[in-house]
Amino acid sequence: MTDKDNCEASGRDALGRDALGRGVSRAASALAKLPRRDLLALGAGAAATLPLFGRTARAAEPIKLGWVGPLSPPGGYAEGLLMKYAAGMAADEINAQGGVLGRPIEILYQDTRGLPAEGTAAAERLIVEDKVVAMLGEFHSSVALAEMEVVHKYNVPIMFCDVWSQAITAKGYPQVFRNSTTFPLLDTMIGQWIVAAGFKNVALLCEQDDIGLAGRKIAAQVLTDNKVPFKLYTADPQATDFTAQILRLKAEKPAFDFFFILYAEAGAYPMVTESKSLGFAPTPHTGIFLSGGDGVDPTFWKNVGNAGVGLLCENVGLPKSGWNDKTKAFVTAFKGKYKTDPPGSAMESYDAVFSLVEAIKSTGSTAPDAIIHGLETLHWVGTRGLYTFSTSHTPDWAYHQFMAAPATVLQYDQLNQSSFDAPIVWPRPLATVSYLYKTPTA
Amino acid sequence: MLDYILIQAANGLVIGVLFALIATGLTIIFSILKIVNFAHGEIYMVGGYFGYYVITLLGVPPFPAVFVAMALTFLFSIGIERGLLTPLYSPSIERKADYGILITFGLSVFLRNIAIIIFGPFPLRPPSFLEGNLVIGGLIVSDDRLVAAGGGILLLAGLIYFLNRTVWGQALNAVSQSRESASIVGINSERMYMLAFGVGGALAGGAGALIAPIYSLSPSMGLVPDTQAFVIVILGGLGSVSGTIIAALVLGLSENLFIALLPDPSRGPSYANAFGLFIMMLVLLFRPTGIFGRQHVAMD
Repeated sequence: MTDKDNCEASGRDALGRDALGRGVSRAASALAKLPRRDLLALGAGAAATLPLFGRTARAAEPIKLGWVGPLSPPGGYAEGLLMKYAAGMAADEINAQGGVLGRPIEILYQDTRGLPAEGTAAAERLIVEDKVVAMLGEFHSSVALAEMEVVHKYNVPIMFCDVWSQAITAKGYPQVFRNSTTFPLLDTMIGQWIVAAGFKNVALLCEQDDIGLAGRKIAAQVLTDNKVPFKLYTADPQATDFTAQILRLKAEKPAFDFFFILYAEAGAYPMVTESKSLGFAPTPHTGIFLSGGDGVDPTFWKNVGNAGVGLLCENVGLPKSGWNDKTKAFVTAFKGKYKTDPPGSAMESYDAVFSLVEAIKSTGSTAPDAIIHGLETLHWVGTRGLYTFSTSHTPDWAYHQFMAAPATVLQYDQLNQSSFDAPIVWPRPLATVSYLYKTPTA
Repeated sequence: MLDYILIQAANGLVIGVLFALIATGLTIIFSILKIVNFAHGEIYMVGGYFGYYVITLLGVPPFPAVFVAMALTFLFSIGIERGLLTPLYSPSIERKADYGILITFGLSVFLRNIAIIIFGPFPLRPPSFLEGNLVIGGLIVSDDRLVAAGGGILLLAGLIYFLNRTVWGQALNAVSQSRESASIVGINSERMYMLAFGVGGALAGGAGALIAPIYSLSPSMGLVPDTQAFVIVILGGLGSVSGTIIAALVLGLSENLFIALLPDPSRGPSYANAFGLFIMMLVLLFRPTGIFGRQHVAMD
């Protein structure tokens, strides 16, 4: 068999070129015959399309964000679930607008169950296995304190949401940001209200864990500085029966005129109902404050009934009077989808996603230091107002803290009242009523 | 001071009756099947939710709803026994105690998490049995607690009657003492296991439905009562119903009085559960089988 026979059998020509090779050769010959001007125009057009090829390849790859929070016991799974929903809504909206840097975002969720060890494992999984560029979320300070060690080790930025312990930002890790309030801000405000409202003898009960003890310390300091007598009590976070404790508080002499509860677990509701049914608080003689978020949860009224009338609590969302268009849109969309008003923690989670995306957009990069810089220089209006993060280390907890995090004290004065409509009594510039405290009826 | 102690004692007894209801179910299951049911707290939780939905969806009044919830929990528990525990009766399972622990522990985790999906994560509270409080001098007890305690006493009395005066109850007693001897006289052991698990579950479910208006319902509500039930069962003596009832009353009373009388009032509630465990340890030091316990017999 000759070489020619071999070529024909394999589909190749005398030069050994297959069909593709012959086509390329013909194109090259045609190009060579074009005038120089036409050649240059063709070259410019080809060069202009090159970025499109690159962008199409990158657009398929989502930017991954890791969400952490409690979705099962023993953590605060009720609040965690609402925060997860809100984060998911934010991701959907961002992707509907084209994503960021031409790429969609994808949120990967990890259940930390309210346990520090689970938080550590979750953070490791998200960073090492899932390669997230940033993280957000969390509801338990003790878990956040564990997670931040992991993000610091791997230099991955995290936007903590509803975690209030000052120790989280006080450590000064550049990766750690917080868009919620913190105890020095919140409990100072509540303590100032207690003083202004004129209470003379306070029972301060907190849950026996990091969050309870940290918050209590701040409130106690404010009361001490203002010479308001108080007594400190603790309770097991898993407890649901407080009868003996409340009876003991009721028997104290001189009688308490205010019952401040720092308790965010499922037992908060029985504590309020038992306190009411035993005639301790709320009564015309003794007020009651429920701090920790349960006062604005969807099933608050179903669980406490009449015991909630006269009760005070904090709200960490914007007061209704200060709602901007984003707040209104978010509240409407959340309520429409999940049939319940979003608590402040859900707004924090929603805004956290947008904040991270804004940081990526402003720096044009998903590199950790770029995101950190983007957050430090952020000036973005979310559902809770204008977000900026302090870079000061004085006080130590101010570092990467959203110092203008909204928080108000509200007092329910009607059964089944929405937290959005309840009178705001403090701080005074945001108050919607003239009084500081409305004495409950018997 | 006396008034104060009496009030605390009264509340402690009320709580003790509710503890007894949960713990006797656990004792019955252990005395018949010889396994520790780690899912008992979750069956209590499921019973509570049955009660809630029977009231809200079917419009059944709160107190009768407790009995409906018990019936539903009875069937639910039998379903669990038939579906998961029958391997215990087979000679192919060598380490039956280990199997029982593992399967019920896994079930407890499953039920707790599936409850979040089915019932939602937020606490729910059914309507009160009776609004208001009983006030006698300085003594204040909510009517819900009185109804729950009364219901609990009724159920416990019914259980004691059932165990001692009915053929089925006597058959259960026989199997708890000796399965082989019971078989010889014609008692079907497997049927008794099914009945025991059903009755034990029904008692827990009834406790859940009685307690719901007081403490609210949540998927994780079974965690603490489960631990307390174990303490009570061990304290009272494994397999002894009367021991369990007495231990429950003692525990409810002592925990309340501990909180009430501890010199440092700031720490009482934090350590109440630990106090119960301390009592249990003390009793076991002097009486390893519990107050009324028999020597432990493993399922063979």
